[in-house]
Amino acid sequence: MITKKELIDFELDIKKFYESGKIKAPIHLSGNNESELIKIFKKIHKNDWVFSTWRNHYHALLKGIPQDWLKKEIIAGRSMGINSIKQKFFSSAIVAGIIPIALGVAKAMKLKNKNNTNKVWVFIGDMTFETGMFHECYKYAKNHKLPLKFVVEDNGLSTNTPTNKVWIKKSKKPKDVIYYKYKRKFPHHGTGGWVLF
Amino acid sequence: MKYKQELIKSMNYLATKPNTIFLGQSVAFSGNAIYNTLVGVPNKKKLEMPVFEDAQMGMSLGLAMNGFVPITCYPRFDFLILAFNQLVNHLDKVRKMSLNEIKPRVIIRTSIGSKKPLDGGPQHTQDYTKIFKDTLTEVKVVFLNSPKQILPAFKKAYLDKNSYSYLFIENGDFYNQK
Repeated sequence: MITKKELIDFELDIKKFYESGKIKAPIHLSGNNESELIKIFKKIHKNDWVFSTWRNHYHALLKGIPQDWLKKEIIAGRSMGINSIKQKFFSSAIVAGIIPIALGVAKAMKLKNKNNTNKVWVFIGDMTFETGMFHECYKYAKNHKLPLKFVVEDNGLSTNTPTNKVWIKKSKKPKDVIYYKYKRKFPHHGTGGWVLF
Repeated sequence: MKYKQELIKSMNYLATKPNTIFLGQSVAFSGNAIYNTLVGVPNKKKLEMPVFEDAQMGMSLGLAMNGFVPITCYPRFDFLILAFNQLVNHLDKVRKMSLNEIKPRVIIRTSIGSKKPLDGGPQHTQDYTKIFKDTLTEVKVVFLNSPKQILPAFKKAYLDKNSYSYLFIENGDFYNQK
Protein backbone atom coordinates (compact mmCIF):
# COMPACT_ATOMS: atom_id res chain seq x y z
CA MET A 1 0.00 0.00 0.00
CA ILE A 2 1.08 3.56 -0.71
CA THR A 3 2.79 5.26 2.26
CA LYS A 4 1.89 8.43 4.13
CA LYS A 5 4.90 10.22 2.64
CA GLU A 6 3.97 9.15 -0.89
CA LEU A 7 0.44 10.50 -0.41
CA ILE A 8 1.71 13.85 0.84
CA ASP A 9 4.33 14.09 -1.93
CA PHE A 10 1.70 13.34 -4.59
CA GLU A 11 -0.49 16.25 -3.50
CA LEU A 12 2.52 18.57 -3.24
CA ASP A 13 3.45 17.63 -6.79
CA ILE A 14 -0.10 18.40 -7.97
CA LYS A 15 0.03 21.68 -6.04
CA LYS A 16 3.17 22.63 -7.96
CA PHE A 17 1.55 21.84 -11.32
CA TYR A 18 -1.58 23.77 -10.40
CA GLU A 19 0.38 26.81 -9.27
CA SER A 20 2.29 26.83 -12.54
CA GLY A 21 -1.06 27.25 -14.31
CA LYS A 22 -0.93 23.87 -16.05
CA ILE A 23 -4.20 22.53 -14.66
CA LYS A 24 -7.14 24.42 -16.12
CA ALA A 25 -9.80 23.04 -13.78
CA PRO A 26 -10.52 23.09 -10.05
CA ILE A 27 -8.55 20.78 -7.78
CA HIS A 28 -9.45 19.75 -4.23
CA LEU A 29 -6.32 18.63 -2.42
CA SER A 30 -6.29 16.21 0.49
CA GLY A 31 -4.16 16.53 3.59
CA ASN A 32 -3.91 15.88 7.33
CA ASN A 33 -5.91 12.64 7.10
CA GLU A 34 -3.30 10.23 5.75
CA SER A 35 -3.02 8.06 8.88
CA GLU A 36 -6.80 7.68 9.28
CA LEU A 37 -7.23 6.70 5.63
CA ILE A 38 -4.34 4.24 5.59
CA LYS A 39 -5.93 2.48 8.57
CA ILE A 40 -9.35 2.35 6.87
CA PHE A 41 -7.99 1.17 3.52
CA LYS A 42 -6.31 -1.81 5.22
CA LYS A 43 -9.87 -3.21 5.42
CA ILE A 44 -10.68 -2.46 1.76
CA HIS A 45 -10.00 -5.23 -0.74
CA LYS A 46 -9.13 -5.06 -4.43
CA ASN A 47 -12.58 -6.30 -5.50
CA ASP A 48 -14.43 -3.87 -3.24
CA TRP A 49 -15.86 -0.72 -4.80
CA VAL A 50 -14.86 2.71 -3.50
CA PHE A 51 -17.08 5.78 -4.04
CA SER A 52 -15.58 9.18 -3.40
CA THR A 53 -16.14 12.87 -3.93
CA TRP A 54 -14.48 15.84 -5.60
CA ARG A 55 -11.69 15.44 -3.00
CA ASN A 56 -10.65 11.99 -4.14
CA HIS A 57 -6.88 11.87 -4.79
CA TYR A 58 -5.99 10.02 -1.54
CA HIS A 59 -8.89 7.58 -1.92
CA ALA A 60 -7.88 6.80 -5.51
CA LEU A 61 -4.23 6.24 -4.65
CA LEU A 62 -5.09 4.05 -1.66
CA LYS A 63 -7.49 2.01 -3.81
CA GLY A 64 -4.52 1.19 -6.05
CA ILE A 65 -4.98 3.57 -8.95
CA PRO A 66 -1.50 4.14 -10.45
CA GLN A 67 0.00 7.53 -9.62
CA ASP A 68 0.96 8.26 -13.25
CA TRP A 69 -2.56 7.63 -14.54
CA LEU A 70 -4.12 9.70 -11.78
CA LYS A 71 -1.72 12.57 -12.36
CA LYS A 72 -2.53 12.61 -16.09
CA GLU A 73 -6.27 12.69 -15.31
CA ILE A 74 -5.81 15.58 -12.89
CA ILE A 75 -3.66 17.55 -15.32
CA ALA A 76 -6.29 16.92 -18.01
CA GLY A 77 -8.81 18.68 -15.75
CA ARG A 78 -10.73 15.69 -14.45
CA SER A 79 -9.73 15.84 -10.78
CA MET A 80 -13.33 16.17 -9.57
CA GLY A 81 -14.54 13.03 -11.33
CA ILE A 82 -11.92 10.28 -11.21
CA ASN A 83 -13.56 7.09 -12.47
CA SER A 84 -12.31 3.62 -13.32
CA ILE A 85 -14.42 0.49 -13.70
CA LYS A 86 -11.20 -1.57 -13.77
CA GLN A 87 -10.19 -0.24 -10.37
CA LYS A 88 -13.79 -0.25 -9.10
CA PHE A 89 -13.55 3.44 -8.26
CA PHE A 90 -16.17 6.15 -8.84
CA SER A 91 -16.27 9.77 -7.79
CA SER A 92 -18.63 12.64 -8.40
CA ALA A 93 -18.71 16.38 -7.83
CA ILE A 94 -22.40 16.45 -6.85
CA VAL A 95 -23.00 16.47 -3.09
CA ALA A 96 -24.46 13.10 -2.01
CA GLY A 97 -24.62 12.03 -5.66
CA ILE A 98 -22.51 8.91 -5.17
CA ILE A 99 -24.65 7.48 -2.38
CA PRO A 100 -27.58 5.97 -4.33
CA ILE A 101 -25.26 4.83 -7.12
CA ALA A 102 -23.20 2.96 -4.54
CA LEU A 103 -26.45 1.57 -3.15
CA GLY A 104 -27.31 0.20 -6.60
CA VAL A 105 -23.89 -1.43 -6.95
CA ALA A 106 -24.29 -3.03 -3.51
CA LYS A 107 -27.79 -4.25 -4.42
CA ALA A 108 -26.46 -5.75 -7.65
CA MET A 109 -23.67 -7.54 -5.75
CA LYS A 110 -26.19 -9.16 -3.41
CA LEU A 111 -28.65 -10.03 -6.20
CA LYS A 112 -25.88 -11.73 -8.18
CA ASN A 113 -24.37 -13.64 -5.29
CA LYS A 114 -26.04 -14.19 -1.93
CA ASN A 115 -22.69 -15.30 -0.51
CA ASN A 116 -20.94 -12.18 -1.77
CA THR A 117 -18.17 -10.99 0.56
CA ASN A 118 -17.14 -7.86 -1.33
CA LYS A 119 -18.18 -4.45 -0.07
CA VAL A 120 -19.00 -1.01 -1.40
CA TRP A 121 -17.29 1.80 0.53
CA VAL A 122 -18.69 5.33 0.40
CA PHE A 123 -16.63 8.29 1.60
CA ILE A 124 -18.66 11.40 2.44
CA GLY A 125 -18.16 14.65 4.30
CA ASP A 126 -19.92 15.82 7.47
CA MET A 127 -22.40 18.03 5.57
CA THR A 128 -23.34 15.17 3.24
CA PHE A 129 -23.90 12.98 6.29
CA GLU A 130 -26.71 15.37 7.28
CA THR A 131 -28.54 15.10 3.93
CA GLY A 132 -31.80 13.28 3.40
CA MET A 133 -30.13 11.23 0.69
CA PHE A 134 -27.65 9.77 3.19
CA HIS A 135 -30.39 8.87 5.64
CA GLU A 136 -32.65 7.28 2.98
CA CYS A 137 -29.86 5.18 1.52
CA TYR A 138 -28.30 4.25 4.88
CA LYS A 139 -31.70 3.01 6.06
CA TYR A 140 -32.31 1.04 2.86
CA ALA A 141 -28.86 -0.56 2.92
CA LYS A 142 -29.07 -1.46 6.60
CA ASN A 143 -32.59 -2.92 6.45
CA HIS A 144 -31.88 -4.85 3.24
CA LYS A 145 -28.54 -6.04 4.65
CA LEU A 146 -26.55 -4.72 1.70
CA PRO A 147 -22.74 -4.72 1.72
CA LEU A 148 -22.46 -0.93 1.94
CA LYS A 149 -20.09 0.78 4.34
CA PHE A 150 -20.06 4.52 5.00
CA VAL A 151 -17.06 6.57 6.09
CA VAL A 152 -17.72 10.11 7.32
CA GLU A 153 -14.73 12.44 7.01
CA ASP A 154 -15.52 15.37 9.25
CA ASN A 155 -13.55 18.55 8.59
CA GLY A 156 -16.42 20.65 9.90
CA LEU A 157 -16.94 22.48 6.62
CA SER A 158 -18.86 22.28 3.38
CA THR A 159 -16.88 24.50 1.01
CA ASN A 160 -16.46 27.17 3.74
CA THR A 161 -19.85 26.80 5.43
CA PRO A 162 -19.54 25.41 8.98
CA THR A 163 -21.84 22.39 9.30
CA ASN A 164 -22.41 23.03 13.03
CA LYS A 165 -23.45 26.60 12.39
CA VAL A 166 -26.14 25.87 9.79
CA TRP A 167 -27.57 22.71 11.40
CA ILE A 168 -27.02 23.99 14.98
CA LYS A 169 -25.82 20.51 15.90
CA LYS A 170 -24.74 17.44 14.00
CA SER A 171 -26.67 14.17 13.95
CA LYS A 172 -25.49 11.16 15.93
CA LYS A 173 -23.33 8.77 13.97
CA PRO A 174 -24.65 5.21 13.86
CA LYS A 175 -22.21 2.63 15.26
CA ASP A 176 -21.77 0.92 11.90
CA VAL A 177 -20.62 4.15 10.23
CA ILE A 178 -16.88 4.81 10.37
CA TYR A 179 -16.23 8.36 11.47
CA TYR A 180 -13.13 10.48 11.91
CA LYS A 181 -12.39 14.16 12.38
CA TYR A 182 -9.57 16.15 10.82
CA LYS A 183 -8.56 19.72 10.07
CA ARG A 184 -8.16 20.41 6.39
CA LYS A 185 -4.69 21.32 5.19
CA PHE A 186 -5.63 23.10 1.97
CA PRO A 187 -8.52 25.43 1.07
CA HIS A 188 -11.73 23.90 -0.31
CA HIS A 189 -10.29 24.18 -3.81
CA GLY A 190 -7.02 25.40 -5.18
CA THR A 191 -3.91 25.81 -3.05
CA GLY A 192 -4.47 29.17 -1.40
CA GLY A 193 -1.91 30.91 -3.59
CA TRP A 194 -2.44 33.31 -6.47
CA VAL A 195 -2.24 31.52 -9.82
CA LEU A 196 -1.98 33.12 -13.24
CA PHE A 197 -3.77 30.90 -15.78
CA MET B 1 -56.53 -1.04 -26.63
CA LYS B 2 -53.42 -1.95 -28.57
CA TYR B 3 -51.30 0.66 -26.76
CA LYS B 4 -51.52 -1.14 -23.43
CA GLN B 5 -51.18 -4.56 -25.09
CA GLU B 6 -48.00 -3.48 -26.87
CA LEU B 7 -46.59 -2.24 -23.57
CA ILE B 8 -47.40 -5.61 -21.97
CA LYS B 9 -45.77 -7.38 -24.92
CA SER B 10 -42.68 -5.19 -24.58
CA MET B 11 -42.36 -5.85 -20.86
CA ASN B 12 -42.79 -9.59 -21.46
CA TYR B 13 -40.00 -9.39 -24.04
CA LEU B 14 -37.70 -7.60 -21.59
CA ALA B 15 -38.61 -10.06 -18.82
CA THR B 16 -37.20 -12.95 -20.90
CA LYS B 17 -33.74 -11.41 -20.68
CA PRO B 18 -31.69 -12.74 -17.77
CA ASN B 19 -30.03 -9.40 -16.95
CA THR B 20 -33.17 -7.24 -16.72
CA ILE B 21 -34.74 -6.10 -13.46
CA PHE B 22 -37.88 -3.99 -12.99
CA LEU B 23 -37.94 -1.41 -10.22
CA GLY B 24 -40.08 1.43 -9.01
CA GLN B 25 -43.08 2.20 -6.87
CA SER B 26 -46.04 -0.05 -7.74
CA VAL B 27 -44.14 -2.55 -9.85
CA ALA B 28 -44.94 -5.44 -7.48
CA PHE B 29 -48.03 -3.95 -5.83
CA SER B 30 -50.97 -2.45 -7.69
CA GLY B 31 -51.54 1.28 -7.79
CA ASN B 32 -50.91 2.69 -11.24
CA ALA B 33 -51.21 2.08 -14.97
CA ILE B 34 -47.62 0.93 -15.40
CA TYR B 35 -48.26 -1.88 -12.88
CA ASN B 36 -50.95 -3.22 -15.24
CA THR B 37 -48.35 -3.59 -18.00
CA LEU B 38 -46.11 -5.76 -15.80
CA VAL B 39 -48.63 -8.57 -15.35
CA GLY B 40 -46.44 -10.99 -17.31
CA VAL B 41 -43.23 -10.13 -15.48
CA PRO B 42 -42.29 -12.72 -12.82
CA ASN B 43 -42.26 -11.34 -9.28
CA LYS B 44 -38.65 -12.41 -8.77
CA LYS B 45 -37.64 -9.84 -11.40
CA LYS B 46 -39.44 -6.98 -9.63
CA LEU B 47 -37.98 -4.69 -6.98
CA GLU B 48 -40.64 -2.63 -5.25
CA MET B 49 -39.07 0.65 -4.19
CA PRO B 50 -39.78 3.05 -1.36
CA VAL B 51 -40.74 6.57 -2.38
CA PHE B 52 -37.24 7.94 -2.97
CA GLU B 53 -37.25 8.86 -6.63
CA ASP B 54 -33.79 10.40 -6.89
CA ALA B 55 -32.24 7.48 -5.01
CA GLN B 56 -34.08 5.07 -7.32
CA MET B 57 -32.46 6.71 -10.37
CA GLY B 58 -29.03 6.54 -8.74
CA MET B 59 -29.63 2.91 -7.80
CA SER B 60 -30.61 2.16 -11.39
CA LEU B 61 -27.27 3.53 -12.56
CA GLY B 62 -25.46 1.47 -9.91
CA LEU B 63 -27.30 -1.69 -10.97
CA ALA B 64 -26.36 -0.97 -14.59
CA MET B 65 -22.71 -0.47 -13.59
CA ASN B 66 -22.78 -3.98 -12.19
CA GLY B 67 -24.27 -5.82 -15.16
CA PHE B 68 -28.04 -5.33 -14.90
CA VAL B 69 -30.39 -3.65 -17.36
CA PRO B 70 -32.83 -1.88 -15.03
CA ILE B 71 -36.29 -0.96 -16.24
CA THR B 72 -36.90 1.84 -13.78
CA CYS B 73 -40.51 3.00 -13.56
CA TYR B 74 -41.91 6.41 -12.58
CA PRO B 75 -45.72 6.24 -12.65
CA ARG B 76 -46.17 9.91 -13.54
CA PHE B 77 -43.97 12.48 -15.29
CA ASP B 78 -44.59 14.80 -12.34
CA PHE B 79 -42.78 12.29 -10.08
CA LEU B 80 -39.82 11.87 -12.43
CA ILE B 81 -38.99 15.52 -11.76
CA LEU B 82 -37.82 14.36 -8.31
CA ALA B 83 -35.18 12.19 -10.00
CA PHE B 84 -33.99 14.92 -12.34
CA ASN B 85 -30.79 15.40 -10.32
CA GLN B 86 -29.49 11.85 -10.73
CA LEU B 87 -30.77 11.66 -14.30
CA VAL B 88 -29.08 14.85 -15.46
CA ASN B 89 -25.97 14.98 -13.28
CA HIS B 90 -25.02 11.30 -13.36
CA LEU B 91 -26.82 9.00 -15.79
CA ASP B 92 -26.58 11.59 -18.54
CA LYS B 93 -22.96 12.56 -17.79
CA VAL B 94 -21.27 9.33 -16.77
CA ARG B 95 -19.90 8.46 -20.22
CA LYS B 96 -18.23 11.83 -20.49
CA MET B 97 -16.95 11.55 -16.91
CA SER B 98 -15.46 8.10 -17.50
CA LEU B 99 -14.12 8.68 -21.02
CA ASN B 100 -16.69 6.21 -22.34
CA GLU B 101 -15.66 3.43 -19.97
CA ILE B 102 -18.94 3.41 -18.06
CA LYS B 103 -21.82 2.90 -20.51
CA PRO B 104 -24.93 2.20 -18.44
CA ARG B 105 -27.99 0.82 -20.19
CA VAL B 106 -30.96 2.02 -18.12
CA ILE B 107 -34.50 1.94 -19.50
CA ILE B 108 -36.68 4.57 -17.83
CA ARG B 109 -40.47 4.46 -18.10
CA THR B 110 -42.77 7.31 -17.24
CA SER B 111 -46.26 8.39 -18.19
CA ILE B 112 -48.09 11.65 -18.69
CA GLY B 113 -51.02 11.35 -16.29
CA SER B 114 -54.41 10.70 -17.86
CA LYS B 115 -57.10 13.41 -17.95
CA LYS B 116 -60.04 11.14 -18.74
CA PRO B 117 -62.30 10.04 -17.18
CA LEU B 118 -60.64 11.73 -14.17
CA ASP B 119 -58.39 14.76 -14.54
CA GLY B 120 -55.48 14.48 -12.14
CA GLY B 121 -54.90 18.24 -12.17
CA PRO B 122 -51.72 20.33 -12.35
CA GLN B 123 -49.50 18.03 -10.27
CA HIS B 124 -50.45 14.71 -11.89
CA THR B 125 -50.84 15.37 -15.63
CA GLN B 126 -47.89 17.43 -16.86
CA ASP B 127 -45.93 16.75 -20.01
CA TYR B 128 -42.27 17.75 -19.61
CA THR B 129 -41.05 16.01 -22.78
CA LYS B 130 -39.55 19.16 -24.32
CA ILE B 131 -37.64 20.08 -21.16
CA PHE B 132 -36.13 16.59 -20.89
CA LYS B 133 -35.26 16.51 -24.61
CA ASP B 134 -33.61 19.92 -24.35
CA THR B 135 -31.65 18.97 -21.22
CA LEU B 136 -30.47 15.41 -21.75
CA THR B 137 -27.40 15.00 -23.94
CA GLU B 138 -26.76 11.25 -23.82
CA VAL B 139 -29.97 9.67 -22.58
CA LYS B 140 -32.32 9.16 -25.53
CA VAL B 141 -35.83 10.56 -25.04
CA VAL B 142 -38.65 8.78 -26.89
CA PHE B 143 -42.33 9.70 -26.75
CA LEU B 144 -44.46 6.62 -27.37
CA ASN B 145 -47.22 7.94 -29.57
CA SER B 146 -48.50 4.91 -31.44
CA PRO B 147 -48.95 1.24 -30.51
CA LYS B 148 -46.87 -0.06 -33.42
CA GLN B 149 -43.90 2.01 -32.28
CA ILE B 150 -43.74 0.47 -28.79
CA LEU B 151 -42.21 -3.01 -29.08
CA PRO B 152 -39.55 -1.99 -31.65
CA ALA B 153 -38.60 0.95 -29.42
CA PHE B 154 -38.03 -1.21 -26.33
CA LYS B 155 -36.19 -3.84 -28.41
CA LYS B 156 -33.92 -1.15 -29.81
CA ALA B 157 -33.18 0.14 -26.32
CA TYR B 158 -32.30 -3.32 -25.02
CA LEU B 159 -30.16 -4.19 -28.04
CA ASP B 160 -28.55 -0.76 -28.65
CA LYS B 161 -24.95 -1.49 -29.66
CA ASN B 162 -23.77 1.72 -28.03
CA SER B 163 -25.50 0.83 -24.77
CA TYR B 164 -27.30 4.13 -24.41
CA SER B 165 -29.94 4.75 -21.76
CA TYR B 166 -33.49 5.56 -22.87
CA LEU B 167 -36.34 7.52 -21.38
CA PHE B 168 -39.71 6.31 -22.69
CA ILE B 169 -42.66 8.63 -22.21
CA GLU B 170 -46.14 7.16 -22.36
CA ASN B 171 -49.51 8.89 -22.22
CA GLY B 172 -51.99 7.55 -19.71
CA ASP B 173 -54.97 8.48 -21.88
CA PHE B 174 -53.62 6.35 -24.76
CA TYR B 175 -54.09 3.22 -22.60
CA ASN B 176 -57.85 3.60 -23.21
CA GLN B 177 -57.86 5.49 -26.53
CA LYS B 178 -55.40 3.69 -28.81
